[in-house]
Amino acid sequence: MRPALPLLCYALTVAWCLPPWLARLTSRGVSAPLGLAAWLCAMGSVLAAAGLVIQFLFRTIGADWPSLTRALCRSVAGTACTPVVYRSALYELGVTAVALAVTVAAALALWRYGRRVQRAGRRSREHAEVARITGRALAGTGAVVLDDPRPAAYCVPGRALAGSGAIVLTSGALALLDAPQLAAVLAHERAHLTARHHAIVTATRALTAAFPAVPLFTRGAAEVARLTEMSADDVAARRAGRAPLAAALLAIATGKAVPGTILSAADLAVPARVERMIQPARPLLHAVVGLALAAVLAAVVVLPAVLAQYA
Amino acid sequence: MRGFGDLEAEVMHRVWDHDGPVTVRELFEEMRKQRAIAYTTVMSTMDNLHRKGWLSRDKDGKAYRYAAVASRDEYSARLMREAMAEAGDTEAVLTHFIAQMDGEQSQVLGDVLRRLTEGQGA
Repeated sequence: MRPALPLLCYALTVAWCLPPWLARLTSRGVSAPLGLAAWLCAMGSVLAAAGLVIQFLFRTIGADWPSLTRALCRSVAGTACTPVVYRSALYELGVTAVALAVTVAAALALWRYGRRVQRAGRRSREHAEVARITGRALAGTGAVVLDDPRPAAYCVPGRALAGSGAIVLTSGALALLDAPQLAAVLAHERAHLTARHHAIVTATRALTAAFPAVPLFTRGAAEVARLTEMSADDVAARRAGRAPLAAALLAIATGKAVPGTILSAADLAVPARVERMIQPARPLLHAVVGLALAAVLAAVVVLPAVLAQYA
Repeated sequence: MRGFGDLEAEVMHRVWDHDGPVTVRELFEEMRKQRAIAYTTVMSTMDNLHRKGWLSRDKDGKAYRYAAVASRDEYSARLMREAMAEAGDTEAVLTHFIAQMDGEQSQVLGDVLRRLTEGQGA
């Protein structure tokens, strides 16, 4: 058991201690794609390390049971009945019990994960189909409009291969946006569908359902959702411009039209997504955060592999 | 990108625009005035929509009369309920452009917005 301890400590540290630090690095969305990769790799890394620990538990049991049974047989049959044999038997039983409990817990988590992913897919496909059939097609955009005064814009994935996802705008949102702002919103939603952000969001949300008490997954799911938004913002800003995108974000969030592209100055209390459109991070900050994220990324990829060598 | 789904949408919108139940023939005659389309295409589309639970049908002589199971507004309202729910309350994965802010947040943003607009010199 002892050789697996470093891996176990690693998994626990990354799962409980890394999230606050990583969140500080990624909260403002500097290098959003790199931040996204860091969160996802950290999650993958912890799952892999946990898998290796479980595998090691079973290897231990497999390796020790034969010699133990031989020892027990000898002690029952004859003279070699020593307290050492019984202690070791108790230890083996303990390890076996732990391994069984961990396996049951892992199977339960896997089941919860699978059920959540499956349901999310089904509900999303249903939503997309109903939206595509009931919505009014917005000519030349592939988006549909639903009549509702509340401003909202979102997209929902359809069947994986048919590309049948839907981009939905309410009539309330449409009334708030001028042409460049609408183009920015559509570019943002298309970026989600193209980059398959829904698959990422579905997986991380399902991990939260599978491990409801692990900060890496609960906090990670929220951060991942934010970072996919920021990544889509970056794509949309390149296609449609930063100013119209920032104006569209403000318009939909507040429910008030934002005339033209007025945004030249930053101000306090602007949410992170609007702020990074108005005032992008300085190159130096970009480089520092990028390096730090790359270091995290490298660590979570390399460390479990190195620690597994010792197990 | 939308292909067949497009046709389903068109048929549903036409059914909703009718006051009462409608036959395949009636809908086909209506659609033929605007575009080239085969009777069997309309029929299989309506059959699909019936199978998927969008249309109900009753035998009327030799033909079926189709009616929408729920109104357009009812479907819209259902979608909006799901779309406006908090992310944790719905299982569908919708990525919102940006969530609508609550009163206080919206107030703050509105103030920022006003200042920025005034700064522009109107």
